[in-house]
Amino acid sequence: MRKTMLSSAFIRSKLFWAIVAELLILLVGFILRPDFLSIQLRTLSDGTTVLFGTPVDIFNRASEITIIAMGMTLVIALGGTDISVGALVAVSGAIALKFLRWDVLVYTTPGDYTVKPYYLALLLPLMTCTLMGLFNGVLIGKLKLQPIIATLILMVGGRGIAQIVTNGKQFTTQYTPFKFIGNGSVLGIPVPILITLVVILAVVLFVRRTSFGMFVESVGINPNASRVSGLRSDTIIIIAYVLTGLLSGISGLIYSSRISSNDSNNAGLGYEMDAILAVVIGGTSMTGGKFSLLGTLVGSLIIRTITTLVLYFGVVSEAIMAFKALIIAVVIVLQSEPVRNAIAKQRSKRTALGGEARA
Amino acid sequence: MDEGLTLIHPSQYNRKGDCLQDIILEMKDIEMTFPGVKALGRVDFTLRSGQIHALLGENGAGKSTLIKVLTGVHRMDAGTILFEGTPIRPTSPMDAQKQGISTVYQEVNLCPNLTVAENIFIGRQPMRKGQIDWKTINHRAHELMLRMGMDIDVTLPLAIYPIAIQQMASIARAVDINARILILDEPTSSLDENEVRNLFSVMRELKNQGMGVIFITHFLDQVYAVADQLTVLRNGRLIGEYPVREISKLELVTAMIGKDINEIYNLQKAQPQEDASIVLDAQNIGIPGKVEDISLQVKEGELVGFAGLLGSGRTETAEMLFGVTHAIRGSIAMHGEVLTLKAPLDAIRKKIAFCPEDRKRDGIVADLSVRENIALAVQATRGFLHPLPQKEQQELADKYIQLLSIMTPDADKKVGELSGGNQQKVILARWMATNPDLLILDEPTRGIDVGAKAEIQRLMLEMCKEDRSVIFISSEIDEIIRCSNRIIVMRDLAKAAEVDGSACTQADILSIIANEGTKEEVV
Repeated sequence: MRKTMLSSAFIRSKLFWAIVAELLILLVGFILRPDFLSIQLRTLSDGTTVLFGTPVDIFNRASEITIIAMGMTLVIALGGTDISVGALVAVSGAIALKFLRWDVLVYTTPGDYTVKPYYLALLLPLMTCTLMGLFNGVLIGKLKLQPIIATLILMVGGRGIAQIVTNGKQFTTQYTPFKFIGNGSVLGIPVPILITLVVILAVVLFVRRTSFGMFVESVGINPNASRVSGLRSDTIIIIAYVLTGLLSGISGLIYSSRISSNDSNNAGLGYEMDAILAVVIGGTSMTGGKFSLLGTLVGSLIIRTITTLVLYFGVVSEAIMAFKALIIAVVIVLQSEPVRNAIAKQRSKRTALGGEARA
Repeated sequence: MDEGLTLIHPSQYNRKGDCLQDIILEMKDIEMTFPGVKALGRVDFTLRSGQIHALLGENGAGKSTLIKVLTGVHRMDAGTILFEGTPIRPTSPMDAQKQGISTVYQEVNLCPNLTVAENIFIGRQPMRKGQIDWKTINHRAHELMLRMGMDIDVTLPLAIYPIAIQQMASIARAVDINARILILDEPTSSLDENEVRNLFSVMRELKNQGMGVIFITHFLDQVYAVADQLTVLRNGRLIGEYPVREISKLELVTAMIGKDINEIYNLQKAQPQEDASIVLDAQNIGIPGKVEDISLQVKEGELVGFAGLLGSGRTETAEMLFGVTHAIRGSIAMHGEVLTLKAPLDAIRKKIAFCPEDRKRDGIVADLSVRENIALAVQATRGFLHPLPQKEQQELADKYIQLLSIMTPDADKKVGELSGGNQQKVILARWMATNPDLLILDEPTRGIDVGAKAEIQRLMLEMCKEDRSVIFISSEIDEIIRCSNRIIVMRDLAKAAEVDGSACTQADILSIIANEGTKEEVV
């Protein structure tokens, strides 16, 4: 009895339908091309073995969005939004590449860089993005600006800053420790996946092992009551935006490492929308309140799976965006409350067949 | 369209040429089960035209459920509803409204950012030449509000008006919709005496026009003042239907709670020690334009009542004491130490607690569980980095669920799903858990039933016995007198008088509120 009640609540949850959607999309891929789900170990020319296969690729390529979306989940649970994350990805890459560039006019060998030790070239971008997150947080938490307006400043300004940092140039790097972040693997698992897992674990622990998650939900549900109960909503809001800034920085390092370059115009382009979408598909409401980090992970994977599917089956590149939008529309409709309730009702009717004449 | 003001279209109530005492609504053998709870068991309810019928019972008695079945929010499991002789089964509140059943809910369900007039006419705006006829809307809205005794500018946003006026607007809206049945669910809980009188005259007018009015309230005096018939529910069962004139108040309360009232109201006032130390000392605190300089002292183990009309400055004073708003002038000291209150957290750290007046807006966090709601303030003082272990949180919740007899299946239930009285108890538990020296309760008994009301009063007095101090704000003067050692009477955003709680009568306080005769000025 208890078990059926639990599962019925789960069936009504958005998370359940997000998982169903993800499985359906994978199933479609599998039916069209049975090798879509295969995973294999391959040995590369340099002797390392790496996991290969579409599922690995999906998870790997979803890293940038997943990492940002973890922070975005908290921001949205607080009733806010952060549209500057894509620009912060560009800033992060620009600063890293400024120090790690291989500039033939300045340095004679690929091993020469302006900053030593190497980790400073990672620390500086992360610090900058954290400060930018703090800027967002203060505008929203202390000065009570509307989140979309406050973060619009850095959405526009961030790419400008990235241009200034690099003098509008696109640098490349051949520095292997840096390239390892986006392209390397440990025990066959691509490094971006490992970074993602560490980030998810860290955020989950931070949110659920402390009371931060409860505070975020409380402020998101009822800011007035939270204040009267003694919560400092400004501090909570600032922390959420700072965290999102830092995570955008990490995401930027992965992105620029993948392409061994910085690209102030295109790095992180549209990430804010993908991250917000991942959070919403994952079951966190844009009006704030209860959130689900696991849901966000599934949401991010759905978005990436769709992109991969579309690319895999050679949809003409002009149609990719439209095609992606179509599938997302289906997922969101499937998740909408009336549809969820209708399906749950159908199901309970079937299980209670004969027991109750009218319902 | 704007000739005169007909609250009910004549064709509505004359369509069957019914005489005034015809049955409009007959609900028979209504049954309703929620998962695990039998909410209604074979309840009957009959409403006649031209009748004001009070629906009474404690929280959880099934009043709201019965109304929600009638208005299509819930589907009944069994039973029949006959509306003017025809069986109906409303599928949604909108559907019920179309059939002629109009409802005003306890909590204002309007759009705060729209104007008063827009709120009254939203969804059924009169049109003229294909455009919304704003002139008529504003004119008619003003007339409707005037009839409620409210001469206000209806073109201003609803949010700028106090709850009382917002409530009146929602009543005006319900009344203006051509309905046969008007349901008023706790309409008076945020109204003051004058406003209640206006509402009653509107209700009587509707009754004379042949409408059937279902009136849910916790104020028994109001039942006797306005209702003709009453139905009592208890634990989802029908206890009985009585003509108001034939049942005494004592019999009524006994029917509602199933116990003798004297047993419940056997309260003893707090008895602070002669030499009790001063806990709270506020000197000349005020915010220019909002509330004038107010001084008060509260001793250990003392219960100080705050009487006065809605908007007289009671809540404003409490909010200053708790750091919700900032006193521009004056000083606040706890145990002799002067406080700087920048936010409620500062006050909580100094062992002050505050149950706010507007439970829904400032009290409960509806989507969080009972457990989280109870632990919230304690956790806030600890900071999020020092979480209360899950086990302690659970123990804390279980302790107060038992101590305050909060009716909930378990601590994980969402607070928003509990009844009003139980929500209030959860908020009380939140503050008791912080172990306060001074507890400020702003209208803690509003909108909750007799039994829960007495329980909350008893809890206040028990806290005083433990040498804690309580500031008790209420619109009901009799409960203030019943509980307080001292009473501060507020009028026009200032302190009008301070009187001894054991040596005054309701009439004394009323005359101070009304500014009659000599008053005892306090600096």
